[in-house]
Amino acid sequence: MRVFSTDHKVVGLQYGLTSLVFLLLGFLLILTLRWHLAWPASPLPLIGGILGDTRAIDGILLPEFYNQLGAMHGTIMVFLAVVPLAVGAFGNYLVPLMIGAPDMAFPRLNMASYWTYLAAGIVMLAGFVLPGGAANSGWTSYPPLAILASSGQTAWLAGMLLLIASSLFSSVNMIVTIVQLRAPGLTFMRLPFFIWTQLVTSFLLLLAFPALQAAAILQLMDRVAGTSFFLPAGLVVSGEPLHVSGGGSPILWQHLFWFLAHPEVYVLILPALGIVAEVIANITRKPLWGYRAMVGSALFMAVMSFLVWAHHMFLTGMGPTMSAFFQVTTMIISVPSVVIVSALLLSLYGGSIRFTVPGLFALAFLPMFGIGGLTGLPLGLAASDIPLHDTYYVVGHFHYVVAPGTLFALFAGIYYWFPKVTGRDMNPLLGKLHFWGSLIGMNGIFLPMLFQGLHGLNRRLYDGGRSYEMFSTFDGSFRGQAWSAVFLGVVQVFFVVNLVWSLARGRRVSGNPWNATTLEWATPSPPPHDNFATTPVVHRGPYDYSVPGAPQDFVLQSER
Amino acid sequence: MIPYTVDRRADTGVTNVTLGIWLFLASEVMLFGALFSAYALLRVSAPAWPAGRTVLDITPALVNTGLLVVSSALVWRATRVAPVPMGRVAISTLLALAFLAFKTLEYRDDAARGLLPETSTFLALYFTLTGLHALHVAGGAMANVWLMAGRRVDARVTAGRARALALYWLFVDAVWLVIFTLFYL
Repeated sequence: MRVFSTDHKVVGLQYGLTSLVFLLLGFLLILTLRWHLAWPASPLPLIGGILGDTRAIDGILLPEFYNQLGAMHGTIMVFLAVVPLAVGAFGNYLVPLMIGAPDMAFPRLNMASYWTYLAAGIVMLAGFVLPGGAANSGWTSYPPLAILASSGQTAWLAGMLLLIASSLFSSVNMIVTIVQLRAPGLTFMRLPFFIWTQLVTSFLLLLAFPALQAAAILQLMDRVAGTSFFLPAGLVVSGEPLHVSGGGSPILWQHLFWFLAHPEVYVLILPALGIVAEVIANITRKPLWGYRAMVGSALFMAVMSFLVWAHHMFLTGMGPTMSAFFQVTTMIISVPSVVIVSALLLSLYGGSIRFTVPGLFALAFLPMFGIGGLTGLPLGLAASDIPLHDTYYVVGHFHYVVAPGTLFALFAGIYYWFPKVTGRDMNPLLGKLHFWGSLIGMNGIFLPMLFQGLHGLNRRLYDGGRSYEMFSTFDGSFRGQAWSAVFLGVVQVFFVVNLVWSLARGRRVSGNPWNATTLEWATPSPPPHDNFATTPVVHRGPYDYSVPGAPQDFVLQSER
Repeated sequence: MIPYTVDRRADTGVTNVTLGIWLFLASEVMLFGALFSAYALLRVSAPAWPAGRTVLDITPALVNTGLLVVSSALVWRATRVAPVPMGRVAISTLLALAFLAFKTLEYRDDAARGLLPETSTFLALYFTLTGLHALHVAGGAMANVWLMAGRRVDARVTAGRARALALYWLFVDAVWLVIFTLFYL
């Protein structure tokens, strides 16, 4: 296997391995932070002594390093781990296989997309060795703070510009591939739901990310060329008036940032819904319930996601007219998500469900994403958002969406398609240990956050709020969360061992071990260089499970 | 060989390259759209805003407008002839480089007059937007060179690339005309 390959399968695996490494790194950063929150006055075990004087004194985290951990955890998880895993890895590897194409439409652009992404990640991480450390103004990089921050923020911006270029290459490629390279007979309404989610996701990335590109260019100018796009006049820093021309607007950054970052939420969730849909159809041995409604909902959700961004900004003091508009659009956008999750739930009805490892992850996704989604509703209304916004409630809400939500779907996808990639099965016992451990660990971390937030615990405090008497009762829950995080880390060992062990020793399986229907299972595992010996011709919809009169309980899309 | 690289797909009516360039331009529209929105927001919230002609010299901008329009027209005309006449693409590339040279001189002149990005929000926007536009001109010039370097590949592949490039140049023109209106008039 060549390292500089244009084969979509190689690029997909490169994306997958790199993003899993980033996922682990992002987790280790926040594990450090969670331990510190539980015991803010005690030295960190194991790593406390090796962090160096700029990060910790006597093994106790410094506030500056705490800020770096939080900012880089968010950035790494959203931009370098979850999206590249969901779109770069799953999208690249599976889309050509599932639509019966020999490769992506622009293979060299595809390769360029991966290497640009890797460069972006390295540039961002390089911030950790700069004086002042990595970016420390939150994953949202709000000015004026971000403009006054140490040079790690410049690395963050440079990395972000590269990352958005990479995302542009990949989203153009993905849309052209899906529209142009579908096998004969594979009409749009015969596309697997996963392909629809990748198509919609790519449109979101294509059209939303440029807003952050623009914002990052402006912030870079503010930092290196002395402009004041986001700096108002009369700013006083540490008692000294700031010598800039002024006239800028910090709120402008927030508008541009959230114009990207709200569609980004759907970029995080749509591919996950796609994976869960494929797995659920497979384990219930039934067609998906309401496929057309799901497709329509995904499209509607994509359009609406460009109209809700300012619900992240109720605290900026926007007028009642604007906040009314964004509250209404926010309530509307919750409908299509509910439609999709309800359709998946109804798909289970009457099915003889096979509790495979991918099946367990996909089934657990539904209630976990449900909690994440429903806890979001109070945040979409200004009256309840204003008291909750700066509390751990918000952190709990979006982590339910992304961690036991999206990440569980991505794990489901890894267990489900591993046999396709390697021709070998993953060990189901280790998989089940990984699943149950992760379910317990994640809920142990995120469920307390919702209650902490409802009690008003502020989410930005270095010592977890110990210096305030009203926040002094959270010691127990902080410690429970820290131990849950450690436990979550330990059970990931089952996953890593399973991945490595199965690669070499896993049970050899046929080209279609799950008896699935979509095109990627119509070719050997692992697929050969051009995917299919002859271009498949599609004769039916994506989920022909348990067709009455058929000899088996599944019919491949390419079968007549 | 990837299907539909040179042939149109019957049910979509386009080649991969055509669809790809339109998607790329859609993304570019969002990028410049975001920047022009930032311009609008900063301008309406500013207590005073200078008329562009009172700050900047319009002469080099007029020359540059001419260079850019002729340059992209040459690429556009080149797509109407088969095989793609590389001489016209070469002249277009030289005109694009002339645009960049003029722009550099203009920046130097601005700086000599004390007009810098940090001077005012108007100038900050001027340098950022014209700078980003100049990067697009440089990118287009490089793409022209790439088109010429690949002239030995299949003539139909080259023709497809040239059509995509011509669309890109039209976009670069359109952005320039907006910039010209916003900053020099």
